[in-house]
Amino acid sequence: MIETIQLLPGITLRCVRDTRFKQGCLSVQLVRQMTAEEAAFNALLPAVLLRGTNRHPNLRAITHRLDELYGATVGTLVRRVGDYQTTGVYCGFMDDRFALEGDHVLSSMIGFLEEILMDSPLEDGGFLPSFVESEKKNLIATIESQLNDKRVYASGQLLKLMCANDTFGLPRLGEAEQVAVIDAKALHLHYEKILRESPVHIFYVGSADSSYVAQLLKPIFAKLDRSPISLPAQTGFHPCDGRDEVETMAVSQGKLCMGFTTSITNRDKEFPAMQLMNTILGAGMTSKLFMNVREKLSLCYSVGSGYYGTKGIVTVSAGIDFDKELKTREEILRQVAACKAGDISEMELNAAKEAVLSSLRATHDAPGSIEGYYATAALSGLGLSPEEYMAAVRAVTLEDVVAAANTLKLHTTYFLKGAA
Amino acid sequence: MELTHYPMLDEDVFRTRLSNGLTVALVRRQGFSKRLAYFVTDYGSIHTDFEFEGKQWSAPAGVAHYLEHKMFDMPGGRDVSAEFAALGAMTNAFTSYDITAYYFSCTENFEDCLRLLLEFVSTPYFTKESVEKEQGIIDQEIGMNADAPDSRVFEDLMENLYENHPIRVPILGTSETIREITPEILERCHRAFYTPGNMMLCVVGDVEPDTVTAIAEEVLGTEPREVGKKQNTWAESLEVSVPNVERKMEVAMPMFNMAFKCTPTENGEAGIRREMVADLAAEALFGESSELYLHLYEEGLIDSSFGGGFETIDGCAMLMCSGDSDEPYAVRDAILAHAKKLVADGIPEEDFMRMKRSALGRRIRELDSFDSTCFRTCAYHLSDFDYFRFPGVYSQIQVSEIGDFLAETVKEAHCGISVIYPLNQEETV
Repeated sequence: MIETIQLLPGITLRCVRDTRFKQGCLSVQLVRQMTAEEAAFNALLPAVLLRGTNRHPNLRAITHRLDELYGATVGTLVRRVGDYQTTGVYCGFMDDRFALEGDHVLSSMIGFLEEILMDSPLEDGGFLPSFVESEKKNLIATIESQLNDKRVYASGQLLKLMCANDTFGLPRLGEAEQVAVIDAKALHLHYEKILRESPVHIFYVGSADSSYVAQLLKPIFAKLDRSPISLPAQTGFHPCDGRDEVETMAVSQGKLCMGFTTSITNRDKEFPAMQLMNTILGAGMTSKLFMNVREKLSLCYSVGSGYYGTKGIVTVSAGIDFDKELKTREEILRQVAACKAGDISEMELNAAKEAVLSSLRATHDAPGSIEGYYATAALSGLGLSPEEYMAAVRAVTLEDVVAAANTLKLHTTYFLKGAA
Repeated sequence: MELTHYPMLDEDVFRTRLSNGLTVALVRRQGFSKRLAYFVTDYGSIHTDFEFEGKQWSAPAGVAHYLEHKMFDMPGGRDVSAEFAALGAMTNAFTSYDITAYYFSCTENFEDCLRLLLEFVSTPYFTKESVEKEQGIIDQEIGMNADAPDSRVFEDLMENLYENHPIRVPILGTSETIREITPEILERCHRAFYTPGNMMLCVVGDVEPDTVTAIAEEVLGTEPREVGKKQNTWAESLEVSVPNVERKMEVAMPMFNMAFKCTPTENGEAGIRREMVADLAAEALFGESSELYLHLYEEGLIDSSFGGGFETIDGCAMLMCSGDSDEPYAVRDAILAHAKKLVADGIPEEDFMRMKRSALGRRIRELDSFDSTCFRTCAYHLSDFDYFRFPGVYSQIQVSEIGDFLAETVKEAHCGISVIYPLNQEETV
């Protein structure tokens, strides 16, 4: 199903050939260790690359070229996967079979990708200051606009508090103040450095044969002067003191977030049990949290839990009235305690298994989800294909789920409430 | 069912209309694990006024959405979500201005899931207690919306742009209107609009056509029933009486929504053609490939959050754009000026061909998404058009239609704008 080709030292191409789709996708990720110093650079970089090339010197020229390629898209790709941050681009393009006779979308797309990655217009050894300045403004606006979605904001605040000793608390796109001080020359130096040394992960999904894709891509990367480094392995949660914080803001609905730690990460064999435990607790409309906190007690509109498997963190968040805070806290803890005590029905366990299995089965049904699964699995240390993962999920017993639940420890609580 | 093959899109679509009046479509996708089914009623938040069983009715705002929530209740304490979950399926629903959709996706147990979907959506079960309890949940949802600047900026605009069309009231209704909703009202709306003649079932996936129709007839019966007659036109001038509205909220930078009122689109091919013309006109005017976008972006008046297109809803239509900007009114003035220039100078044929190719390619790519395909198949069918015929419509559109659309639409008198400023902006200046 998936073919892995070592294109060059430190440069890996993964291909999934699939002729069912109307489009293909190609992603290129440079992999970095997440650090406070570098995060903003890596977040800004692809936006600047996409502003123009020597042949297509502005946004309009770039868009015209993409229009000619039947409405292809190229977007920035900045991921955080556990201790790593990736920076790069994601291309989506129509399959060749729908193009006019003689048009080859994939090879033209890769040619254009080369321009974007390797042929930026430069000035005094740096990127064009006009590009850099306006993309800094954009990125700062994006970072600041996370405040607009209070649920996202509150989850970010919780992770910051929990991860005082861990880069996992750093915002994926860096901080606005760090973006503000980046200059065009420093950014270009950074790009040269990461092109030289970073592991490069390339992913293709589409109808073309992997050897053809490799043949198109290899010459592009062979031009680079590389001295690749390897990254330290992923690590679990780095302990720090727990907190209990309240923040006030002009909002009409409160957001309560509770963070738990677990020793189980996606590198462990107990991972599927922990994932099922999270599903039973708070994923979807049949979870304990939804059924009790929302349906039975009407304490909230939204409630759910999430499991950050790369790190071993489970978070619960709920949108509530300000005066329901204590009651909601108690109820959330009661539901976690129920999981620990093994108060889980056969039906709950089976429903959780079916939900996880169903989403794994559907992984192969869209190019984006194939890319998303494999490209992050390779980095996070999850060494399982969807099929192997499904087998592991099926084998989980109730005892395994209860054992996983008993690794959970409440670490930090954060409550966003309205100004008095 | 009747099979149509679309060679330009490499698609097979089966369609039929059952004797009970239900339209059924199956977009067959062989070799895929996922199966998706939408059960849609041609009834949304704007359809509060209707004629049914010989009488004229006017329901409280928010009733369609309230009904959507309450459909998940079943007699005997059955839990629909849990039953889907036990089958390994996900179910959900949404209410828009003009439709309400219930759907599930699964990879196994398709037949049981389909039976369950049709059963719960066609089973009204509303008790006084459960209807009252729902008020708390929907009030929370209204509260959440009140804190969401994206929703507020849009709802403010609609309230000011329209004088009579019910799009001026939020889909959820208000805390006051939802208090007027009773089990009797829900039952009547259900009887009037959740009847096969007003509904459509669409499936995307590797499924046998006969399976779908057999299950639909088994659950819904074969007899047609009366369908409520909705009010779906409203007296509305193209002139905007309140051209701007402003509010302050906890946001990072000012954000805006802007719209130019248009005459409502017709049903059928003419309507779809107008929609595609309008989307191309939007691209030519302020899309990423336009001169104006580049200019505004480089001047820092817009950022990558900027975008827009044509919106059409029963009884109204508008050309819209939105984004974050420190100077929303300068963006509006630039759009008005640039439209005049485009109308005067004309759009070069080469640019037009490139835009068409791009729009066509994007629509083809979007067919990979089960959700988007299922939704579009239903939405376009309810406008009397076969969505899979879009390549043919694109090929007929002439460049002059773009200019005509811009000349008729992008006028100051037809324009409304809504802005949300950050709360602390004045204090810090």
